[in-house]
Amino acid sequence: MSNNGSRLNRRTLLGASAVALAAPALLRPAHAQAEPIRIGWLATFTGPLSSPTIGFDRGVKHAVEQINAKGGVNGRLIEVISRDTQGDPTKAVNATQDVISRQKVHAIFGPVNSGELLATTPIMARAKVPSLVAGVVNSLIDPVKFPNAFRVTPSNAQWDDAVRNYCQNIVKAKKVAITADATGYGTSAHDDSMASFKKAGFDIVYDGVIDPAQPDVTPDLLRAKNAGAEALVSWTVSAGMAARMMNARAALNWDVPIVGHPALGTGEIGKLVAKPEYWEKVYQVGYRSCSYGPDGKLPKANQEFVDSVRGKMPLADTSLWWIASGVDAINLIAEAVAKTGSTDSDKIIGYWNTLNMWPGLYGHYSFSPEQHNGFLGTDVVMSKANTQRDGAFDLAPGYV
Amino acid sequence: MLAAILAAGLAVGATYALIGVTYNIMFSASRVMSFTAGQLGMLGGVLGAMFISRLHLPILPGMVLALGGCALVGLVTEIIAVRPVLKALDQHLYVLSTLGFALMIQTFTAIEWSTEPQPFPRLIGIGEGGPWDEKFWLPVLACVATIVGLELLYRRTLVGRAFLAIAEDNFAARALGLPERNLRMASYALAGAVGGLAGFAGGELLLAFFANGSMLNFYGFIPVALGGLGNNKGAVIGGLALGVFQQAANFLMGGVVAGVAVFAVFIIVLLVAPQGLFGAPAARRV
Repeated sequence: MSNNGSRLNRRTLLGASAVALAAPALLRPAHAQAEPIRIGWLATFTGPLSSPTIGFDRGVKHAVEQINAKGGVNGRLIEVISRDTQGDPTKAVNATQDVISRQKVHAIFGPVNSGELLATTPIMARAKVPSLVAGVVNSLIDPVKFPNAFRVTPSNAQWDDAVRNYCQNIVKAKKVAITADATGYGTSAHDDSMASFKKAGFDIVYDGVIDPAQPDVTPDLLRAKNAGAEALVSWTVSAGMAARMMNARAALNWDVPIVGHPALGTGEIGKLVAKPEYWEKVYQVGYRSCSYGPDGKLPKANQEFVDSVRGKMPLADTSLWWIASGVDAINLIAEAVAKTGSTDSDKIIGYWNTLNMWPGLYGHYSFSPEQHNGFLGTDVVMSKANTQRDGAFDLAPGYV
Repeated sequence: MLAAILAAGLAVGATYALIGVTYNIMFSASRVMSFTAGQLGMLGGVLGAMFISRLHLPILPGMVLALGGCALVGLVTEIIAVRPVLKALDQHLYVLSTLGFALMIQTFTAIEWSTEPQPFPRLIGIGEGGPWDEKFWLPVLACVATIVGLELLYRRTLVGRAFLAIAEDNFAARALGLPERNLRMASYALAGAVGGLAGFAGGELLLAFFANGSMLNFYGFIPVALGGLGNNKGAVIGGLALGVFQQAANFLMGGVVAGVAVFAVFIIVLLVAPQGLFGAPAARRV
């Protein structure tokens, strides 16, 4: 009996030990046991090109917090692995290789500028990692060469369409002047714009690629004015050059509208124009989702989002579309995992290829195996450049 | 139309000319082409905007402090980037030392000030952007005042004559008991103030922007080459001609093509007159 009792005691002891060891794991929530969904987030966190990342990053963090607070996706938490590319393509390449090879991410968002994307997109394609592209250069998207890459912002061609349509349909201009800064981006935007305006039958009376450090642009604008330009198209990311154009336009007593790149609405310009009214009649590329309508309100979903984060997330020092794009990128990855039940790259890519008018905060996305430029063209509109509040702008005149 | 091109051309040209004079002052005292000249111009704009717009000082004290700051940077240039090189056998090392120091100034400004252009305050408030706007004539006025001031300094004062003696033959000047090192330091401080004045007077046109330094370095060197090394009057004429030609080329050809035209003319002039338009060939003992 005593032997029996001893055996029973030993069994009981062993069983109790096993339970004691297993208890913490059993008591832990189910999702913590599952492998997290690892997302590589490559962006320019520091350096002169860092301002978009500030906005994108707020959106990314917000979306991840919202999803993880609800228990993650199918019980799997989202883990964001951020890397600072500093706006440098070499650093972006290193960061891409790190998140793919060492961190084993399931999807990548970024980098967020075209120069870095040109260097990193082929690397991501070789590794077949699903990637969301936030860059406008047309050549970044090619479903044959890069079947893993999906653009979640407009392409340069879509920006150009919005500007050209505005000049044609609202400004009713027939003669235009096209200007750009002498950077890699400016030169390519200038060439694309020249081709599309010519194709649409415009008379391009002046075109100039201008050094952004040129102290005075009066001669360039004078030439455009004398040639009879009825709209001035601007493709520059330089706040200094944009402000100089506005000052020179005022000095020439010329009330021609300036239409072009989203940088025309950057807050720095407000400080650089000689008088605030020189910033009038300037229309920048904007987005319907992030524009105030005639009633002073954003579209319903975005107004609700802004109301929900007001006071918790700074909005005044960035663009709302950057935040919205960050939210959409995380949600697109999360939904692909939720719907397919997998983080396999083939499954995620396959799911994205089926999306049709997927309603994001920033815009509507549609992809197919043949078309990875997913942003809906009609979501790209023109905004009044000097009307920013909470990171959003008023729709330009002519839109309803 | 012509007035607008002339006004902008003369203003930009006067700023280039003052940077050329800055190169010349430093060269005369040390036989060193200091590539910090453009950065001194950039600092004149940045410090002016900082003292007047950010720290809300009145214009005159703001200007004095900005020029004083630039003079100090000129002095530091002499101590850390020029003096050690003068002791070395291979004095061409100045290209590295002054360029390195210029890069440090630019990077420091980008970090501490801003990487975006910042507004420069309206100094007087004359003109509404037309050809008579102060942003066009202030650099020209500063250029005229500098040339007159330097002429008076060099011709009418003992210190000025000592500067000239050093520039002419520093061994002979030292043999006569002139404090060569102190005079060289004073020259670099003076050059700093002149460079700072270029950026301050041209601030409304150039804005307070860290990247102006390399642009001024580049375009400020052309008047020196055109006018003849060490020749201030040549630098002024060369600078003004460059500014007007550049603006006319912007109007006639536009954009980047205008920049190519400027350099094409520059190269042609140097092929025709290698010593510059106003410089005399250096005499050589044989």
